[in-house]
Amino acid sequence: MALGRNNKKPFNPPKLQLTSMMDMFTIILIFLLFSFSNNPEQMSLDGQMSLPESTSKLDYKDSIRLVLTKNELKLDGNVVATIKGEEVVGLENLYDALKNYRDVADSLKQGVKIGERKEHILFLCDKNHSFKVVNSIVKTAGRAGYPNFQFGVVEKN
Amino acid sequence: MALKRRRREQVGDDELELVPVMNMFLVLIPFLLLSASFYHIKAINTSVPVLASTSAHSSKTPAKSDAKVTVIVELKDKSVVLTATCDELSYNDLVKLETEIAVKNPDAYPMEDLAQHLLFIKDRYPKSDTLILVPTQQVVYGTIIQTMDTARSKNNAELFPNVVLSGKVG
Repeated sequence: MALGRNNKKPFNPPKLQLTSMMDMFTIILIFLLFSFSNNPEQMSLDGQMSLPESTSKLDYKDSIRLVLTKNELKLDGNVVATIKGEEVVGLENLYDALKNYRDVADSLKQGVKIGERKEHILFLCDKNHSFKVVNSIVKTAGRAGYPNFQFGVVEKN
Repeated sequence: MALKRRRREQVGDDELELVPVMNMFLVLIPFLLLSASFYHIKAINTSVPVLASTSAHSSKTPAKSDAKVTVIVELKDKSVVLTATCDELSYNDLVKLETEIAVKNPDAYPMEDLAQHLLFIKDRYPKSDTLILVPTQQVVYGTIIQTMDTARSKNNAELFPNVVLSGKVG
């Protein structure tokens, strides 16, 4: 009888306690917004690519971007050469493209010697490539008028 | 009296409507998480050798400690060879700076020994700031970056900040 009386009580839906969840979300949101404001410019990297780690604290300056993944060489997002074993196939495309950049830059800024030029290439390279591959690329870039590089690395903690 | 009681009850029942704010957070947070990066990309300045016109040398010979030594580090398969070049130093002085460090483990070059020797050269010739890195063809890019790190500084002391990457000639 007592059990029957209890069942007749009106059902009150439980209230969700959202305050603690709100606190958590607010903290996450602030953290993410801060990490955004620290690094306003992001670069998207190939998932297969692993950059080497370094103790360098120098921020990169965005300029001509040369990305060497496991199989491809990309200049500003466009594939200019491919990697077959330890050979770079299509280096002449890289030379031509950089020479075009150089000619445009020279037409804007004349009378500056090669060694005094400030333009550089941001080079992002997979850490497992051999120097043979890297050297052929940096030498080609040097020949095309870009002897200065910034090697992109992941900051070591 | 009854009005007062009713007003007090109404104040007690008021609750913040958090559900729309929660909805907004649920949209914002996945969006920010997708676009956030959890690694920081930094840069190392370097250059490749270029042909340049030679500048005229001054006739005044600087003091030995003021000499600017250029260190050449060859990363070979079985050893790391250090040599030095400088117009102001004699052959005998330069030979004293040379060394060869054996590579015991091909996966881990002896960076600590290299740093010690670079520190020794930097102590003797503090104005030196340039190092030419000459790896063999098989050395991987990760090792080159590691060597550049070693060459630039040791225990926050600056060693050779200008690292030039060069292929072996001949």
